[in-house]
Amino acid sequence: MHGKRGRILPYALTLLLSLALASAGAAADKVIKIGAVYPLTGNIASTGLDCLHGAELAVDIINGKYPDLNLPLAKTAGLPNLGGAKLKLVVADTKGEPRNGQAEAERLVTEEKVVGMIGAYQSAVTKTASQATERLKIPYVCSDSSSPTLTERGLKYFFRVSPHDAGFARDQLQFLKDLEKAKGVKIGTIAVLYENTEFGSNVGKQVLMLAPEYGFKVVADISYTANATDVTSEVGRLIKANPDVLMHASYITDAILFTKTFKEMGFNPKGILTFAGYIEPGYLPAVKADGNDIIVRSTFALDLAKSKPLVAKVNALFKKKYGIDMSENAARSFAAPFVIADAINRARTTEAEAVVKALLATNIPGSEMIYPWKGIQFDPKSHQNIHARGILVQIQNQNYVTVWPFDSAAAKVIWPFPAWKTRK
Amino acid sequence: MMTMKKPTAVQVVFYAALLAGLLAFPLIVKGTFPTHIMIMVFLFAMMGVAWNILGGYAAMFSFGQAAFFGIGAYTSTILLMNYNVNPWIGLVAGGVLAALMGAAIGIPCSNLRGHYFAIASIAFAEIVRIHFNNWKFVAAAEGLSLPLLPESLGNFMFHSSKAPYYYIILVFLLLSVLICWYISANRMGFYLRAIKESHELAKGMGISFVRYRLYAIMISAFLTAMAGTFYAQYILYIDPESVLILPISVQVVLVAMLGGAGTIIGPIIGAAILLPLSEITRVSLGYKGSGIDMMIYGALIMLISAYRPQGVWGLLTTIGRRGK
Amino acid sequence: MTGQLLAQLMNGLLIGCMYSLIAIGLTMIWGVMNIINFAHADFLMIGMFISFWLYTLYGVDPIFSIPVCGAVLFLLGWLIYRYLVSKVMTGPGLAQLVVTFGISIFIANAAVFLWSPDFRMIEKPLLAGTWNFGTVQLSIPKAIASLGSVAVSVALFLFLRKTKTGKAILAVEMNRSSALLMGINTERVNALSFAIGSSLVGIAGAFLSMYYYIYPQVGGTFGLISFCIVALGGFGSIEGAFLAGILIGVVQTLGGYFFDPAYKYAIVFAMYLVTVWIRPQGLMG
Repeated sequence: MHGKRGRILPYALTLLLSLALASAGAAADKVIKIGAVYPLTGNIASTGLDCLHGAELAVDIINGKYPDLNLPLAKTAGLPNLGGAKLKLVVADTKGEPRNGQAEAERLVTEEKVVGMIGAYQSAVTKTASQATERLKIPYVCSDSSSPTLTERGLKYFFRVSPHDAGFARDQLQFLKDLEKAKGVKIGTIAVLYENTEFGSNVGKQVLMLAPEYGFKVVADISYTANATDVTSEVGRLIKANPDVLMHASYITDAILFTKTFKEMGFNPKGILTFAGYIEPGYLPAVKADGNDIIVRSTFALDLAKSKPLVAKVNALFKKKYGIDMSENAARSFAAPFVIADAINRARTTEAEAVVKALLATNIPGSEMIYPWKGIQFDPKSHQNIHARGILVQIQNQNYVTVWPFDSAAAKVIWPFPAWKTRK
Repeated sequence: MMTMKKPTAVQVVFYAALLAGLLAFPLIVKGTFPTHIMIMVFLFAMMGVAWNILGGYAAMFSFGQAAFFGIGAYTSTILLMNYNVNPWIGLVAGGVLAALMGAAIGIPCSNLRGHYFAIASIAFAEIVRIHFNNWKFVAAAEGLSLPLLPESLGNFMFHSSKAPYYYIILVFLLLSVLICWYISANRMGFYLRAIKESHELAKGMGISFVRYRLYAIMISAFLTAMAGTFYAQYILYIDPESVLILPISVQVVLVAMLGGAGTIIGPIIGAAILLPLSEITRVSLGYKGSGIDMMIYGALIMLISAYRPQGVWGLLTTIGRRGK
Repeated sequence: MTGQLLAQLMNGLLIGCMYSLIAIGLTMIWGVMNIINFAHADFLMIGMFISFWLYTLYGVDPIFSIPVCGAVLFLLGWLIYRYLVSKVMTGPGLAQLVVTFGISIFIANAAVFLWSPDFRMIEKPLLAGTWNFGTVQLSIPKAIASLGSVAVSVALFLFLRKTKTGKAILAVEMNRSSALLMGINTERVNALSFAIGSSLVGIAGAFLSMYYYIYPQVGGTFGLISFCIVALGGFGSIEGAFLAGILIGVVQTLGGYFFDPAYKYAIVFAMYLVTVWIRPQGLMG
């Protein structure tokens, strides 16, 4: 026997549940809130966290007084033109999913009332997040996503500080040209190996397109799944193609797996030039000496300290806070808060149109940055930093050292890549 | 659990109140984020209802719904971008294509039972994902950004407010519920349940279970593809990693199972609990990057299903009964 | 050319043996209880982490951690069965499956919480390096892992055929209700099978940790492939899973080499679909 109440109650409970869904937003206060979206759970959480640390340190420096740091807004506490207002990062997790990028950007703007946005590392997520801020008319400064398509969309509120993959691909090919001249070696053939998500296939596309322009012949074009359990068939194909140089765009998991498999199967090109995965902080601890002599594209290296004392000072602060050296990811994400804070400070308001105007007038000299660039100035149309460029670092004795451009190199490039048999 | 009796007065009042509440929601709650969560709830509820036609009634546990979702999203987007076809027509085209794909996979798989079917559906969806990830015609892994059209119902695109999206997906959900209800109340639902109980019995009764299972797959695929088109028009960017991956299929199964499979309201309740739960844990704890948000999420799923295996709807009903 | 072909074939066999060991644990649980354990890949990850921590904290080489991994996972499997899975054994439809989803999400993120999402690798295992046979290079840890996998599979096979407990497990697998009538404690058999299945994947984790990187999501692709292997071999068939594992390893490697690496898993899945289309019960089901 079921009483009347027995029939009503489940429905009533359901109604209550659905009512509980309605929630209220938070009020904004005097600090300047900047939204930061990063993948903090899931497959590349460790990378996301690394990026976030870079941005956090930048905010600390802007908010505190660091008289000996020649960085924008470091010497004063907060933003002087806004009465010393402090920056506050409001962090959100995207789980690396584009739909969360959009949702979090919208939430941060409408509920947390952020006035600017940074992040999101993965280009696909940056795409949807910046689309959302574009609709909501909030400036977005990105310094950690490298897909060329991001600045090809003609967005009004989106700016990118760091170089993109097309630029990186050109850097690598230019390096090979310079190397031919400097060392009198001849490099004829290239194999292109890339993981097949957004990032890798974009790099692959750029290299395939540009290689003939630089006079190199592509003898293998291999795309693969990044989370593969085993890559012997990929390396088998490489051995068969026998290229002079391998260019490899990877994430970290596949970078580790490929390094091990190169060694195991004795794949010996004259040079291994790589993107991204090989410079993640987890890569070297995992492969140790097997990573030696591999060349990676970068925007930053700790040995830049030789010509830029600022780099060592910033790294010391980073190490004090997080216990490890600043990685390339952290270094790239470090840029965006300065750029956005500098623009807000000059605009003397957080009002979006004024900030965008100030961003367009951005002119931060190279001496006030930890990167080997001439400065930061945005292209009026694409909003890409026109001075952004890459450097190449080589892993030598399990350290990343700058080897190109030759004029700012900290060490001589080791070429050709020593055969696996001769290494210990 | 599902009965074909006439709805009682209480039920009528309840559903009317619920519907009125849902219709008024965007007018009362102004924030975009709650509206977004509700849209996601409806989207997954709709896919859960569509899954239920397969899994709940016909015991075909599909773990490959992401394939249909992705085919819907890609078909309408490609038609819009390359051939300037209106997304509403794209919606129907995507649905039809997904239904045909469903049939193409359903015929060879019609002999497969239980777990064999489940694994086959994963295999199918993974093949689709891998292919799209490498297929230049659909921009491979780069994904497609939809062209921004002026906002209007005809263009299926809105920029100034989320409310229109909210109402569209609510209508889609109601449509799915009606179809599901119609099926369960008619001969097809009876046959599907008979097949679920016993293949042999159904055969003995002269039911062509291949045909009815095929209908179930096609209807389910069509509705899931509609959800896919909606997703594309809502997020305005699709790539294989966001519309074709296994976690989407798994989420759909979770929504249906946790709410109570084989009931019409089950998937809706499942979605109404699961999605806000994952959003709220992510927003409140996820930024620390410690994984604790997903730990809580996993633990809740684990405990609810271990100790209330009939799903939350079953739980509510039991509480209701005890309360007499 | 033939050298490379031979190398590919050998590598396919090696990865295939690894797959087999992972899949055999899964097929046991599947065969006896008719449950898809979605947390299987996460058990693999735990096995790898145990091996990693024993190495890092106490300098124990992975080859000696094998029994520890097996024992810990045995216990964990038993507890999980006893307190979570057994609650839904009589429940409706796929309720067991949702439980294992929850367990999977929980374990993977507990690993992030406890050990951070960083990548680890066992630096210098005792067994390292390669054997060279002309043009064919064979990784020593991979070869040892494959031999171990074969040994463990044979041991399991003998256990099931020769011991009283093993026979009871087989009886339940064949027919639960008549096993009950014969006086077999099916609840105990369930728990035991779940524990043994988990233990096997723990052992696989220890082997894998000798040459593979370790992080909380490491199980993903292995898990997906092992579902496919179990279904291809025929649910509950240990011999089937063993053969299917090797078959998939070889097909994946050769397919990647000759056709297109980007499609190598698609080839594996397509092979599964074609097989069950012709033989709906799998190879040996």
